[in-house]
Parts: sequence; C-alpha cells; structure tokens
Amino acid sequence: MWFKKSNIITVLILFVLVYFSMRLTEFDLAKFRDFRNMIDFLSQWWPMDFSKLPGMMEDTFETLAMAFLGSVFGLLIALPISFIAARNTAPSKILFHVSRVVLSFVRSVPEIVFGLILLTTLGLGPFPAVIAIMFHNVGVFGKLVSELIEAADPGPQEAMRAVGAKKWLANLFSILPQIWPNVLSQFFYRFEVAIRTSLILGFIGGGGIGQRLFNDFKTFQYSAVSLDVLIIMIMVIVIDFLASFIRNRVI
Amino acid sequence: MIQVENLTVHYPDTKVEALTNISLSLNKGDFVCVLGKSGAGKSTFIRTINGLQKPTGGEIYFDGQPISLLKEEQLRKVRRQTGMIFQHFSLVPRLTVMQNVLTGMFGYRSSFKNLIGWFTKEELDLAKRVISEVGLSDMATRKVERLSGGQKQRVGIARALAQQPKVLLGDEPVASLDPGTSNRIFTLLTEMHNRLDLLTIINVHDIELAKRYATRIVALKDGKLIFDGAPEDFKDAEYEETYESIRQDSFFGAGI
Repeated sequence: MWFKKSNIITVLILFVLVYFSMRLTEFDLAKFRDFRNMIDFLSQWWPMDFSKLPGMMEDTFETLAMAFLGSVFGLLIALPISFIAARNTAPSKILFHVSRVVLSFVRSVPEIVFGLILLTTLGLGPFPAVIAIMFHNVGVFGKLVSELIEAADPGPQEAMRAVGAKKWLANLFSILPQIWPNVLSQFFYRFEVAIRTSLILGFIGGGGIGQRLFNDFKTFQYSAVSLDVLIIMIMVIVIDFLASFIRNRVI
Repeated sequence: MIQVENLTVHYPDTKVEALTNISLSLNKGDFVCVLGKSGAGKSTFIRTINGLQKPTGGEIYFDGQPISLLKEEQLRKVRRQTGMIFQHFSLVPRLTVMQNVLTGMFGYRSSFKNLIGWFTKEELDLAKRVISEVGLSDMATRKVERLSGGQKQRVGIARALAQQPKVLLGDEPVASLDPGTSNRIFTLLTEMHNRLDLLTIINVHDIELAKRYATRIVALKDGKLIFDGAPEDFKDAEYEETYESIRQDSFFGAGI
C-alpha cells in the first residue's frame, strides 16, 4: 500500500550519494584504532588552569557583545528591507526584485569571508567581526522576515486599508503584531548562531573568547584550553535558557 | 449618496465576469442587504464601493466623486468615512480591544501620531464611547484573540464606528456566527444605523435576517442584478430565482 517501486530508486540514489561522500571525505572508522592518542592528548587538559579566569570572563562578554550587536543591528536593518522584499508589501516591482537580489547576495557570502575582508582592511579586533556578523544577518533576517510578511493573514491588512490609513502604516500595523513572536524567535536563534560564529571569527583575529581559545591552543596551554571550552559551553547553555524564557514570556 | 453606474468587474484569471453592468443608487438611510449564492458577486460588489476592488468597467460615485479615478489621498478620505466589517473580523491580533478600535481613527490623523500612538482626550473618549455602545466596556484592555466570535465582531463594529462613518459596509459579517449571535449583531447594526443615519450595505447568506432587518434588498445572480426592492416584495419566486442551483441543471443535463 505504502511501498512504491520509486522508493527503490530513491534508496539507490541515496546509497550512491552516501558512498561518494564517504570517498570524498576519506571516511574511515578504522582511524579510531589510535584512540590512545586522544586519551593522551585530553589528559593534558587537566587540571584546569583558573589563573586566567578574569581575562577569560572579559573575553566571554566581548563575544556575547559581538554576537548581540551583530544580530540586533542585522535585524534593525533587515526589518524595513523585509517590507520592500515581500511580495504583498513591496512599494514597486523593481524595488522588490532589487532588494531580493541584494538580500540573497549578502546572505550567500559567509561571515568568515566578510570577516577575512574586514579584519584585513579595518584591522584586527571585535569591531570588524560585528560588522561581518551584521552583514550576513541582514541577509538572513531579510529573507525570514519577508517570508513571514508574505504569510501574514491578509484580513487585517485589508481592514487597515479600509479605515483609510496610509498604505505603509496599514501594512506596519496589521503585519508587525502578527509576525512579532516569530521574528523574536528567529532573533534568538540567530543570536545563538552568532555566538558560534563569533568564536570562529575569533580564530582569525576577531577577538573574544574564540581568539583566546585559538591562542591558548596554538601555544599548547591545554589546561587553559579546557577552561575556555567549559566557559563556552556554559555560555551557550545559559543563553539558550534565557532565550527560551524570554520567548515564552512574549508568545 | 452612492451612485453605481454600469459597474463591471472582471477578474483577470477567470473567464466569468464577477459583476456585469450593475446600476443602482444607494441613499442615506437605506439598510441594504445584498443576497445571492456564493460566487454571485456580493463580496466583489461591497469591495468596489470603498475601492478595495477596482472596477474594470463603469463607475461608482461616492458623493459625486468617481471612486476609480481618485488619487490615493482622496481615496483615503472616502475610506475613512466608510466603515467596514468582515466575515473573519479582520482585527489586528495581539492588540487589545481599545487599540484595535483606535486604529479606526488612523485615516484622520498624522502618520507620526499614529506611529507613536498619541491620542487626544477627545479621541480616547470617542473610543471608550463606541466600545461601550457595542457592550464591551469591561473587555477594553483584553487582547482580541481571547474574545468569542460575536465579541470580535462587536470590536469590528466599534472600529468602524470610531471612523465616525457615513457609510457602513459588511462583507458577510455574520457568516461565521451562530444564529442567536447573528441576530444580536444585526440588532446592534440596526441601532447604529438608525442613530447615526447611515447608509448600510451588508452581504448576507441568511434570507430571514435580510427580511427582518433590511429596508431594501438587492439580489445578485451570476454577477447580474436580478432584484432591487423592498423586503416584502422579495417573495418565493424571487427566492427561487436567486438561489436556483446551477449544479442541479448540469447534473441532469448533458451528462457532463
């Protein structure tokens, strides 16, 4: 009843894809034979070195600030653009297409590429990293929010036009309250992603706990690395909790 | 007050005309119920009156102004004098009753004041008054999604009243409500209609409601005007003509 011949083909294609992907990535579980190395290596991580804790905390807040600014500015810039890039609220066809192209362009450039360009031209430190995260987030939020706008219930939009409100005001008032919980949800998700991104940007000189982790690692200070990793894990978990708390309050 | 002349509406993606050559004049004091089957063009008719739907032929004159030729600014002035209530209420979700009612005044105020939500004492008093007129005073601060269907439609009516309208339009305003609630909504509409001396134009499915409350009945069939007159003249024959089923004809017809 639910089994079709086409399913066999789907499974076959899947197998072929998995096979070639394993070839390309040199996927080989036998490499775990040298598991001992890992235990040796990880044993150097203990005991943790708490002497640099104050500096680490400072860097952690720097990372949080980078991620926060990058995603807040990204959202603020993306919000007005989203209304231009949504089919139902676009002021003109040309602007609609232009904004779509611009958004998908900034979205297609990964943060690390923006980071490499900006860190080279503006100098090392967290500021270029914030701008890099912001750029990419403008693209991501622009797409997500404009899709939310397009999916919004058209009833209130029509009602607001029927009371004689200006078009942009009618759109704003009828759509924003509807999509706000979803926008907030997306924001927290992107904030969490931005934290991970700012760690990576730290590796290429963008500052924060990521840069410290990278430096400690490269200078073989494994007892500091272990504490860096622990702090990062705690930070991510705390943010996750906070985000779901705020989300529940709003929705 | 509203003059409809040879109004024709043709949706681009269908071959059928939604409205064909409708001509009638609607006057202050008329409580018009528009009858017709689904797809007869009732909704299209109502929506052309405040310019939500552009006519493809003919014209509608609102106090002498041709609606389809109006610029956006002038059209807004027509719309703000025209309250409209909807089948699915079309309230702004997550806003309170009070906030929804205040949006009814947007057409009269500057964009800046609307944006920051600054209202004068008179405007706030007006909002409170219309909310009490529809009987929702003790729910003014409640979010609209927590209300029942009948209460939501009352908010819709209050929003329309906040516009201080000359004309009240209703696109199937009771189609998603139970019979008792529908009757109460119609009683409220009649009260407002009489007190404010409005022109009221409402689509309904329910012929009994139309006969009980309307002062004038307009019936549409396949986009054509087939009846326009007093409720007492809308008898069985007219009923048959309005609601006669096309589907049955083809079912017994050429074996399609």
